[in-house]
Amino acid sequence: MRLGLLLVAPVMVMVIVFFITPLVNALYYAFVDFDGLNPNPPFVGLDNFVEMFTDERVWAALQNNAIWIVIGTIAPLVIGLALALLMWNVRRGSSVYRVVLFLPYVLPQVVIGVVWGWIYDPIRGWLNKALELVGLGQLQTGWLGNADTALYAVLATAIWATSGFVFVIFLSALGNVDMELIDASMLDGTNTLQRLWYVILPQIMPVFLMVTTITLIGGFSVFDIIFVMTGGGPAGASDVLGTYAYSQAFQLNRISYGTTLALLITVLAIPFTIALNRLQRRLSMQGTGA
Amino acid sequence: MKISKIAAPAVAVGLVLTLIGCTGQVAPDDTQAPDDNQSSGDVTIRYLVEELEDAEAEARLRDRLDEFEAQNPGIVVDLQTLPFDTMRTILQTQLRSGDAPDVINWGSGPSFGGALADAGLLYDLTEAYEERGWEVYDFAKDRATTEAGVVYGIPGEMETLGVFYNRDLFEELGLEEPQSIADLEEIAEATKAAGYIPFAISNQEGWQGGHQLSMALSSAVGSAGVNDLVDGNSDWTSSDVEDAVALWDRFDEAGYLTPFPTSVSYDSGNALFFTGEAAMLPMGSWIVDGIVANADFEAGYFPFPAPDGQGIFAAGLGSGPMITAETQYPEEALKLIDFLVSPEHGRWMVENLDVIPPFPADLTGVEISPLLAQVLADVEQFGAGEGDFGLNIDVLMTDAFNEAMFDGMQAIYSDQATAAEVAASLEAASQQ
Repeated sequence: MRLGLLLVAPVMVMVIVFFITPLVNALYYAFVDFDGLNPNPPFVGLDNFVEMFTDERVWAALQNNAIWIVIGTIAPLVIGLALALLMWNVRRGSSVYRVVLFLPYVLPQVVIGVVWGWIYDPIRGWLNKALELVGLGQLQTGWLGNADTALYAVLATAIWATSGFVFVIFLSALGNVDMELIDASMLDGTNTLQRLWYVILPQIMPVFLMVTTITLIGGFSVFDIIFVMTGGGPAGASDVLGTYAYSQAFQLNRISYGTTLALLITVLAIPFTIALNRLQRRLSMQGTGA
Repeated sequence: MKISKIAAPAVAVGLVLTLIGCTGQVAPDDTQAPDDNQSSGDVTIRYLVEELEDAEAEARLRDRLDEFEAQNPGIVVDLQTLPFDTMRTILQTQLRSGDAPDVINWGSGPSFGGALADAGLLYDLTEAYEERGWEVYDFAKDRATTEAGVVYGIPGEMETLGVFYNRDLFEELGLEEPQSIADLEEIAEATKAAGYIPFAISNQEGWQGGHQLSMALSSAVGSAGVNDLVDGNSDWTSSDVEDAVALWDRFDEAGYLTPFPTSVSYDSGNALFFTGEAAMLPMGSWIVDGIVANADFEAGYFPFPAPDGQGIFAAGLGSGPMITAETQYPEEALKLIDFLVSPEHGRWMVENLDVIPPFPADLTGVEISPLLAQVLADVEQFGAGEGDFGLNIDVLMTDAFNEAMFDGMQAIYSDQATAAEVAASLEAASQQ
């Protein structure tokens, strides 16, 4: 018993220090009005929560988060899986392909944001120039400054950066797929999509769910690339909860309100994380997958 | 397996930790050990400034502080810099954690130094002003004074907002400085017809919109009018405000501005003017250094016109030195401020940083560019209390108002709001 407690103690200490204490601290800040300066902020009860639920910009940001979660989760999965399937049986130069496709994922988000900012530049950026060259000049716009395109322009950048990671993970998972099952299904006359759906995907499902979890949680907590590329603008058009929480906390000195928004992100993300983790674990215990 | 149970929610909660990590409180340590240099008899004071435009400027400031050290044996100045964007967050954390610098270079006005002074985080300079005879212009001193009458700092530089123009291009096209908005529109038409972008406008960051509104509004309503707005004696939903906002919308619709201004960053917008692609650059006097260094044409500077007149420059005050309340070396910090407000340092600021001091400077025989000389002459009038100058609104208003103003102008340029809606949001924000 004592040995067990001793062994568990380091982890418990870490959980208390790095998880419980900050969470309790966050809850405290959500019930006071802290401006970053006053060491004795006044207690305001549920005011921050009431404001959060009646703040139109929170709902607009939440909507952008939803768009990000849906498109930003599905697109890298589809692109990454497609690339992995294409590269599955490629032998020559496969290492080069892996490195090239994985490279964007290891680049700092700030660097990616700055470089893509140049690409999207309305005057000198090559995207607008390319559109003009191919006769699609009427599509030229200020990608990051147009309220209709800003979020999607940043999202496209994020998808570009994430797909390589998904590709490498899926490619590794495909290496463990039972080829005899593939051969058997081909003898049974399955087409490509049927083989993917009924034979390959079930075998890589735990990995698929793990990657889905990571990209999905990234959709809730997305911040840096939007902050670098648009700052949530123009006029909040590309704000997500993370950038809105930041601007409230650190640009308007409303630390308490920003913390309340961060708690909302946490509350929204946890159920998805737990559900996907449980599903992944259940499949693993059933012996399904790579 | 148990760890994965904990790890999953922990990843999500990491967002909260990010915020909390920046707000944790540590009581000031009264027993903090004096600086290491004290053992050798020297006192080291930490001087935190916003990151300067370039590394050379920082090196020049370091050299200047070496001169201070030579004049004040026993005092060593540890120069520290932070990017402006992150300085507020880091500074607040430092001030509350017992690790504050002794002297900071920070913005005056209620959103900047005023907020720190109200929280008791800045050293009261009221007596020092009287005892040491600092000759800071009264209007500048007033800007660094709390409502309770506490003087907490010295605005470090004076700035004006107006329109820089390519003088060579104007001469080539036979254009003169405008005497009204109608003149300005004619110039815009002429430069546009000649294949140039009339105005190099950037607004990706958002704050530039506040300056664009400041200059148009100041000229439209004059200094008295804009002071009434800032002081809360006039309503931001007035037709004057709406017209000033709508003016930029009209210019945008007419194709006078950089295409898609909210997509253009500060540097990219300025570059259009420096390279001669744009004819005019509505901006503040701090850009003089950049124009002189990067443009290969002669530039001029005029106030943004009024609807029916020449208009006035909008003026503001930049960051300046303040002493933190918890400094252990107030006397040494005051000596540094003595040095920084001296007429000799004023001359050094003009010569080395191309900025204008808010106090009398010894400018006899000073060698500066013609453009800076023009700006300096304009600002000297301001400093002497002559002429009429408008206001750079954002340094005088609250963060909430500034956000409404920046977002409002971005919304105008990206067709998300009308001028009336922007004016209404400004009025609502002014009431917060």
